[in-house]
Amino acid sequence: MDLAMQARPMEAPIEAHNHNRWSPYVDNGGTTLAIAGADYVLVASDTRQSDGYLINSRYSPKAFVLSNNAVLGTSGCSADSKRLYEVLEQRAQLYQHRHDRQISTPALAQLLSNTMYSRRMLPYYVFPVLAGIDAKGAGAAYSYDAVGNMQRVTGVCFGSASALIQPFLDNQVRFKNQRDADPNRLLTREEAFKIAVDAFTSATERDIYTGDYLEIFIVDAAGAHKEMRELKHD
Amino acid sequence: MDRYSFSLTTFSPNGKLLQIEHALAAVGNGSTSVGIKAANGVVIATEKKAGSSLIDVSSLEHMARICDSIGMVYSGMGPDFRVLVNSARKMAQSYIQTYNEDPPVRILVKELASIMQEFTQSGGVRPFGVSLLLAGVDERGPNLYQVDPSGSYFPWKATAIGKNMVNSKTFLEKRFNGAMELEDAVHTAILTLKEGIEGQMTETSIDIGVISTVSAAQQDGTKPEFKRLTAAEIKDYLSNIV
Repeated sequence: MDLAMQARPMEAPIEAHNHNRWSPYVDNGGTTLAIAGADYVLVASDTRQSDGYLINSRYSPKAFVLSNNAVLGTSGCSADSKRLYEVLEQRAQLYQHRHDRQISTPALAQLLSNTMYSRRMLPYYVFPVLAGIDAKGAGAAYSYDAVGNMQRVTGVCFGSASALIQPFLDNQVRFKNQRDADPNRLLTREEAFKIAVDAFTSATERDIYTGDYLEIFIVDAAGAHKEMRELKHD
Repeated sequence: MDRYSFSLTTFSPNGKLLQIEHALAAVGNGSTSVGIKAANGVVIATEKKAGSSLIDVSSLEHMARICDSIGMVYSGMGPDFRVLVNSARKMAQSYIQTYNEDPPVRILVKELASIMQEFTQSGGVRPFGVSLLLAGVDERGPNLYQVDPSGSYFPWKATAIGKNMVNSKTFLEKRFNGAMELEDAVHTAILTLKEGIEGQMTETSIDIGVISTVSAAQQDGTKPEFKRLTAAEIKDYLSNIV
C-alpha cells in the first residue's frame, strides 16, 4: 500500500490568467466639475493630460462647447472624451438641420445617455457632465456614469480629484451636513466661480494628475463664456 | 427570393405611377374624414361607416392616438391604417427614448411619409391604400397634415379626404376662418361630415379627436393631450346642431 497516495483535501482548481493582456483603456487623469445656478451653469476643468507619471500635455482641454451652447465636461480617457464630443456634436447638428432649430438641453442630455448606453459592451471610458440652460431658463447640469446613467444635479465633480472636491461641493454647493443652511438655495455666479477656483487650487496641491491650467465655462441665456486661470505646474 | 426583388410600382409612358393612382382610388372609396386647424387647437373627425346593421359601431375605433400630442385618422383601407398606426407609435416612442420629448408633428409626418414612399419603390410590395390626417400640437402650435399613398404630405388649415372630399372642401372653404376657436372647429367639422353622410348622424356613427394648444390654464406645466371624444361628448355637440 502506497501511503503517499492517501486522499488529500480538494483544492481549488488553478486558473490561468494572462496578466500581460492589452487594455484599450487608459486614464489620462484630470478633473472636471459643474455647478448649476438659477439662470446659469458653470463647468470647470483642468487641462493637464497625463499617462501615469508622464505628462502628455499641459494644455489639452477637457470641456467642449456644443453648437447649442451647452458644454460637455469630460474626464477619464482623453481619446474617448474627444470622440464622444464629436459624436454628440454631429447628432446636435443633424437635429438642427432636421428640426430647423437648436436641440434643447434636456433632449441633448437624453441623447448623450443613449449614445453611451449603445456602447454598453465596450463603453466610452468617460465620466461626462452636460451643462446648459433648460426650457424654463434655469441652469441644468446632468452627470453620467460610463454607460450613460443620467441624473440632473446642482453640484458634481468627476476625475482624479473627485474624492477631494465632491465632498466640498456637497457641503458648499448643496449645503449638506449644515444644520442651519437652506438646502434649496442656489449659488450666484460669483460664488460658484470662487468655489470652482478654490476647489481646483486645493486639488492641484494634493492630486498629482490635476494642475497646469483651469478652464471655466459659464453658460447662460446669452451663450457660453470661457475664462482661464493658471494652476501650479508641479 | 429574386422573384420579388423588383418594384411593382413602375412608371407608365406618360410619367404616372399607376399603382399610386389606384391607391388613391381606394382612398376615394373610403369614408370621409375631415380636419380643421383652429387658432387654439386641431380637430379631426371621420364617419364610422358600418357595413351592416349588425356591426357594433360603438366599438369601431378610427381615431388613433400616436403619442400624447399627436393623433391620426384615415380614409381608405382599415388594415393598412392599422399597420401605419403601429409604425407611427413605434417611431414616436423611439423619438421619445432618444430625446425625452414628443416629436414635433412635422418630424413624425416626414418619417411616416418616408415609409409610405418606400412601399412605392421597394420589391414585391404595394403602396398603402390610405390617406392619413395627422393632428398635433408642438412648439410651432397646432398642426394638421395629410399624407398620401405616394408619400407626399401637405400641411392644411382645413381639409377633407375620402368619398366626399370635393364637396366637403368646398363647404370648408366657405366656413373656415383663421381665427376660429377649437369649439367652433369641432362644430364645423361635424357639419362638414353631416353634408355627406347617408342617413342619420348619431354619436356612435362619427369619431372625433381633438387636441388643444397650451392655454393659460395649462401653464402650470401640463402638456396638451390628444383625446378621442366620448359618445356622450359627441352627443352634446350633436344636440347643438339643428
